Amino acid sequence: MDLRETADESAFRLEARTWLEANVPAEPLPSFDTAEGFARHRQWEKKLYDGRWSAVSWPEQYGGRGADYIKWLIFEEEYYRAGAPGRVNQNGIFLLGPTIMEVGTEAQKERFLPTMASSEIVWGQAWSEPNAGSDLAGIKSKALRDGDDWILNGQKIWASRAVWADWCFGIFRTDPEAERHRGLTFILCPLDLPGITVRPIAQLDGDTGFAEIFFDDVRVPVENTLGEVNKGWGVAMATAGFERGVSLRSPARFSEAVNRLVALWKRLGDKSDTALADAVTDVWMQAEGYRLHTYQTVTGMLEGRPIGAEASLNKIFWSEMDVRIHEIALQIIGPEAERMEGPLERWVDGFLFSLSGPIYAGTNEIQRNIIADRVLQLPKGM
Amino acid sequence: MKFSFTDDQRLFAEGLRELLANECPPTLVRDVWENGTGHSPELWAHLSGMGVLSMLAPEADGGMGGSFVDAILLFQELGRAAVPGPVLEHMAVAVPALASTTFGASLIAGDSIATLWVDDSPYVAHAGVADLILRDDHVLESFQSTDAHGMDGGRRLFTVSGGDRTDATPNVAGLDPFDAMALASAAYLIGLSERMIEIAAEYARVREQFGKPIGSFQAVKHLMSDALLKVEFAKAPTYRAAFSASIGADTMVRDISMAKALASEAAYRTSRSTMQVHGGIGYTWEADLQLFMKKSWALMRSYGDANFHRRRVSGFVLA
Repeated sequence: MDLRETADESAFRLEARTWLEANVPAEPLPSFDTAEGFARHRQWEKKLYDGRWSAVSWPEQYGGRGADYIKWLIFEEEYYRAGAPGRVNQNGIFLLGPTIMEVGTEAQKERFLPTMASSEIVWGQAWSEPNAGSDLAGIKSKALRDGDDWILNGQKIWASRAVWADWCFGIFRTDPEAERHRGLTFILCPLDLPGITVRPIAQLDGDTGFAEIFFDDVRVPVENTLGEVNKGWGVAMATAGFERGVSLRSPARFSEAVNRLVALWKRLGDKSDTALADAVTDVWMQAEGYRLHTYQTVTGMLEGRPIGAEASLNKIFWSEMDVRIHEIALQIIGPEAERMEGPLERWVDGFLFSLSGPIYAGTNEIQRNIIADRVLQLPKGM
Repeated sequence: MKFSFTDDQRLFAEGLRELLANECPPTLVRDVWENGTGHSPELWAHLSGMGVLSMLAPEADGGMGGSFVDAILLFQELGRAAVPGPVLEHMAVAVPALASTTFGASLIAGDSIATLWVDDSPYVAHAGVADLILRDDHVLESFQSTDAHGMDGGRRLFTVSGGDRTDATPNVAGLDPFDAMALASAAYLIGLSERMIEIAAEYARVREQFGKPIGSFQAVKHLMSDALLKVEFAKAPTYRAAFSASIGADTMVRDISMAKALASEAAYRTSRSTMQVHGGIGYTWEADLQLFMKKSWALMRSYGDANFHRRRVSGFVLA
């Protein structure tokens, strides 16, 4: 155990910091869940890609730096420290990308990864359905084989980024006889094909960060299948593992948020309110604990101990912490916290967004079931 | 940056777990509660023989020459077995602080037993079985101790009077004894919590109601998962605190306080949830769970409770 940075890691940190200081836009970009904001974020991703910072942990041949996970965490720390824009292609770079590297063919890697790293193609996620939310295995959207094509029919919902994304990755029922987790296939699909209708859904904050997608006899080539036919559930669970685990919610995001919270408390907090000071310290400790836990997990991964169902612990922890950070901020802000536009709007926006955390990527109740079943080995059942 | 234990550190901890599975089952803990000593000389000899007691003493003095990183998993394993007696006080403070004094040799060998009297505390844990007591600036021998009726029979409390004084300034690798004990207790509390979760999970697998194991009910699953969550997220901060102490980092006091605050809260939450999972049997003297719960309730308040340590962290973070 040595929790100090190596010279190599420090040099990497400095290189990232230097590049970000020179390149991060001075003014925050508009939300990527608006048409203009989406385009501006895509340009930013291209800039990151040109500097080879868009996917630092990917192999060099696909546009990355072959950085290990420790360096990835360092990059994330610098990224949030610099106040750089949100990652519009996170569904691609952090979720689908690692999944393609794990189960994709060489041809698929060549075809999809470089355009993902550059955000020439931005990805949306198409998993949930109106009747398949927490019970994701209840998926009914179908893909029927016709020659060298799949014919897709059905409806997806809560498809994040799908309003402006170029492609989506979905799960479809390919064996109508099979039930539940069996007979599902993971399929990659352009969103501009005939038969596709995307209907934006306004989120709690009014932006259209997700959408419904209707598939009406949509034809995609079978080469767009990721992993084996009828084995899509396993592929999806690998993706979900990345989502719940380390890749989507890097600790830097929360470290940066609690640092801002401490600054907010210093500026506006009632110093005679010891309960408030305790609350701020509590979430500071949580963010620090999450950071340390992640470094420990990542060291384990580097030493050959892959993350398993414990990823569900991370998901509960960061999502509840994120809500708590924002609750305390709004308490400090007081009457200004009622305003959607104003000097402190970022905290109000952040609060609304934080409320999605305990729901998406598998509700926290589902995560608790997973922990109970797989980590604590309790009997299955409801 | 490398946040993991070496194979040697892991193997030593596994060896200790195995030893304690054989030599410190709940029946032994219960025996020392009931015979009134709160200590087992046989178990003490095993711990001494394995090198556990002398882990933090320099090799030159006959110890194992380990650091807090080498010791932290051992504290955790001691907690998993709810090892009774002054093992933490002896191992984490007395041995390293007094290793090079005239008291050193017999403490390192485990032939004499030491405990700790923290400033301002009216009680001294384990004084009834200790040969010497370490205070902030002296060592006390030949003292009189009176039972103060502690809740945990494996950590008996006493008031102490009289005794012969020898000047000493205890210092454990730059830490004062209170902080060394806060760190050791944090790891011990994590071990206790892990064990309580194991016991309750086993119970939930076999106890049936409504024709099913109670562990199949979501209300029970979620209680257990939430307890595990708190325990798992107290671990990395505790190991980091051990690392900070081992290199004398500027942040070591803050890091130890963070560990003790999180571990104390995790242990309390775990004790409540695991008792609840047990239902009526959890409220009995007969259930082994109480051996671990009561130790948690004693240690969570010792060497600074969660509020004390949280405020100390505040002093660093909000300053």
